[in-house]
Amino acid sequence: MARDALQPFELQVLLAALRLGDEAYSVPIVIELEKHTRRRVSQAAVFIAVRRLEARGLVTTRLDDRGTETGRVRRYVRLTPDAKRLLRETRDLQARLWHGLDRLLGRG
Amino acid sequence: MRRLLKWLLPEADLRAFESEQSELHDARRARDGDAAAARGRRADRRRLVMRLVADRLRASRPSAPPDGGGRVGAVYRLRQIGQDLRHSARSLLRTPGLATTIVLTVGLGLGATTAMVSVIRAVVVRPLPYRDADRLVLVRTQDGDNLFNLSVADYQALDAQQTSFAAVAASQQISVTVAVNGVVERQRARVVTASYFSLLGLTPVAGRLLDRSDEHAGGRAVVLNAPYWRTRFGGDQSVVGSAVTIDGTARTVVGVLSQTNGPLEQDIALFEVADWPTPQRKGPFFLTVLASVRPTVPRQAAAAELEAIDRRIFPIWQSSYQDDRATWVMVDLKSRIVGTAGEPLWLVSAGVAGVLLIACVNAASLLVARALQRRRELAVRAALGASRGQIVRGLLAESTVLVGAAAAMATAVAFGALRVVTAFGTGYIPRIDEVRLAGPALWWLAGLTGLGAIVIGVLPAWSGSRVAGGVGLDVGSRTMSEGPASKRTRRVLVAAEFAVATPLVVAAGLIIGSLNRLLHVDVGMDGQHVITASISLPAAHYSTAAAHAFWERTRAGLLAEPGVSGVAFADSRPPVDAEDINNFDLEDRPTRPDEHQPVCPWIAVTEEFFKTTGLALVRGRLLDQRDFASTAPPVILVDRAWARRFFGTDDVVGRRLREGGCATCPWTTVIGEVATVKYLGLEAPDEGTVYQPIDDSQRERFLVVSSTRPASTLGPALGVAVHALDPDLAVSGIATIDDLVSASIATPRYLSVLVGAFALTALLLSVVGIYGVMTHFVTRHARDIGIRLALGGAPERIGRMVIANGLKVVLTGVALGLIAAALLTRLMASVLFDVAPTDLPTFLGVPALMILIAVLACLLPARRAAKVEPAVILRDA
Repeated sequence: MARDALQPFELQVLLAALRLGDEAYSVPIVIELEKHTRRRVSQAAVFIAVRRLEARGLVTTRLDDRGTETGRVRRYVRLTPDAKRLLRETRDLQARLWHGLDRLLGRG
Repeated sequence: MRRLLKWLLPEADLRAFESEQSELHDARRARDGDAAAARGRRADRRRLVMRLVADRLRASRPSAPPDGGGRVGAVYRLRQIGQDLRHSARSLLRTPGLATTIVLTVGLGLGATTAMVSVIRAVVVRPLPYRDADRLVLVRTQDGDNLFNLSVADYQALDAQQTSFAAVAASQQISVTVAVNGVVERQRARVVTASYFSLLGLTPVAGRLLDRSDEHAGGRAVVLNAPYWRTRFGGDQSVVGSAVTIDGTARTVVGVLSQTNGPLEQDIALFEVADWPTPQRKGPFFLTVLASVRPTVPRQAAAAELEAIDRRIFPIWQSSYQDDRATWVMVDLKSRIVGTAGEPLWLVSAGVAGVLLIACVNAASLLVARALQRRRELAVRAALGASRGQIVRGLLAESTVLVGAAAAMATAVAFGALRVVTAFGTGYIPRIDEVRLAGPALWWLAGLTGLGAIVIGVLPAWSGSRVAGGVGLDVGSRTMSEGPASKRTRRVLVAAEFAVATPLVVAAGLIIGSLNRLLHVDVGMDGQHVITASISLPAAHYSTAAAHAFWERTRAGLLAEPGVSGVAFADSRPPVDAEDINNFDLEDRPTRPDEHQPVCPWIAVTEEFFKTTGLALVRGRLLDQRDFASTAPPVILVDRAWARRFFGTDDVVGRRLREGGCATCPWTTVIGEVATVKYLGLEAPDEGTVYQPIDDSQRERFLVVSSTRPASTLGPALGVAVHALDPDLAVSGIATIDDLVSASIATPRYLSVLVGAFALTALLLSVVGIYGVMTHFVTRHARDIGIRLALGGAPERIGRMVIANGLKVVLTGVALGLIAAALLTRLMASVLFDVAPTDLPTFLGVPALMILIAVLACLLPARRAAKVEPAVILRDA
């Protein structure tokens, strides 16, 4: 199980990519994450996270170099079914863990 | 940065990253501004490189090399090595005692060896720090076995006639009294010709050095040496052109010599320009003559020219110098300066290297034992699929970690050792100021470290892999034997330690024996109660008559001091300060034409010298007032050694001789014989000394005082008494004869301490080795011992068996070591005094001592063996 657990940042990248759908590559992922976390996000970190996720079979990537004349190359990211299952499991686990805790935690 | 990225990323990934990065950059520029966006972009690239490198080093497990390719393979292997090293470090930290012992001993050995390499390089190997150093020679006069300096007449002829040398220069070392800002002190100075500095390629740091015009300006120009300039003048540039008072005369400072580490400048405060009077005769011979052989002239040709010039001028001076067999020769400057210092240095290095070797062997032995102890772990690893290579790599990593730590310690040790050596070695070791812990020595350290890692690592790795590979998982049993080969390995290693330690201990024994003999040499004078000091009267202030009056007043003043029983003056003092060594021809035994005239120290003394020093008169009479009159016929006293050397037991009183090779001078008569005193060093054989009445023109004298007061209180009183007569005079070198004797044997003492320390270390390590092996032996054979005891074996016999077993190892090592010692100690002959390099008592005593210590080391395991409880052992087995 330990091997399957997601690092917090990897989880964030997966969720951002899921939200972006077909338009997911590092630039919109960074912008999306910065929008939600309200913190500066490193593109290198996203790049590395995508590589690791790909190595674990959680995303597939597709190189789009149709804009070669303009010099524009993008690597699009797409979640695999494994990733979606892992996200669901993570969400359910979290929900179970959080169940009934709001009252104890109080309102920030 | 981009090159790194290119190396770390597939090409398509890099293109995508760069493209996407500029896309994000454009977006951010609009939001954050140009500068912030550019900063972010640079930071991102850096972060990517770091993350990629970290990923490579960390991410996947060793069993699965990622996406192939040569570069990645190399990174993978590197990562594996890193893992091995970390694993070893952790595993060694679990046995801190073992790790500390190995790091300390090997670190000490490596550090000391590196320090010695630095010293030998600086002293023996490197050329002198002068221009064309390999072509610098000293020109000296050779007469049979004697080499001595040239005279002014010689130098002038050489300078005028030679063509083989690019330059020649003469110098004379003197001591002067310098008065600067109210401080009067004795300093060493060198009188040099104008050519001296340019010959050596030395440059000024302020002002100028000497030139030809100074030579004919009455000898007034002075050049300060840099260290003296800094300490006495605070490095003040304005000193150039100012006047200093030297021996009562004002001289002009024309410049300051830049800092050199050269041996010729050591301890010299200042340089005076030479202004020697035109010689009336060939002698005296007090000039050190330096020459630089022209690159185009072969040495033999230069030597032949020297001989030819010497022959050419011989007839000119024949009336004052008849020895036509004496000739000029060239002596390499470096060999002359380094002299015999090289041999003790090599000896100490051999000692250091021996210690290093033993430390490595000891470490290997300890690690072999450790590998054997861990045999179960290694066997498990092998059973789980670790290849033999992987196990070897793990064990090698362990020794690498140890040797790495030892190397770090060695750097500190070498640094400290060099500080100690340079601090204490000044005065004993020439060129010691040139010693630095620099590049080449550190390369040596690196090389030795590598070699050490191999010595320490290979054997344990080999035996460890044998254990893992050869024996199965049934190694849990307590009495499991580790195989005859591994068992032998450790015993061979310990025998090797003893084989290396033995010659070291023998060498230390010889050197300490030699020092002991030196300490018992009788210098011939009361060492405790005779105090000497040096006084020099400036010729400018003291005419001969004034000097005579000064010496008389000093004598009277000091005799009034409480506790002082005698005051005399001499131009030399024992055991090594002989001012003059003279040749002579005996009337009764004239020198044959094919022989060289005999020589001996010629000591000039005042009338009271013999009474003051307590020298006993054997025959004839002592010097008295008549002998000091200028019209008196020349007379001398000789010592017993002189009498024995030339006349056996016959009476020497009344015998006559002619001094200094002078055939026309009046005869000198022997009037008495006194006890023998050493003037040429404690180790020199007694070949006789001559005493003559001191001349009033002798302005540089040793004060000789006999007193019941200790030197610590009388010393200052001497200074005060002399200052009361002339505040511009300095009294220097106040010492009892015992002090002087002790100083003269500083080198052998230094050497004994060094070699002794190395020998002790070597012995200690070897003893630790044999103790370890025997302890292991007893543990391994616990069951056998238990059975024997259960069957009625006597505990003492068991103990004896253990000791006998250990002694077999020790005896083999010591026997081999003695053979090595017999071969090696021959090289020590030059540093030994009165002890043969194959001294039988040492060669018998040292092995006896080592065997005794080894027996003691085996005693503990033997006792443990004898105390084995059969019941416990047999139950556990």
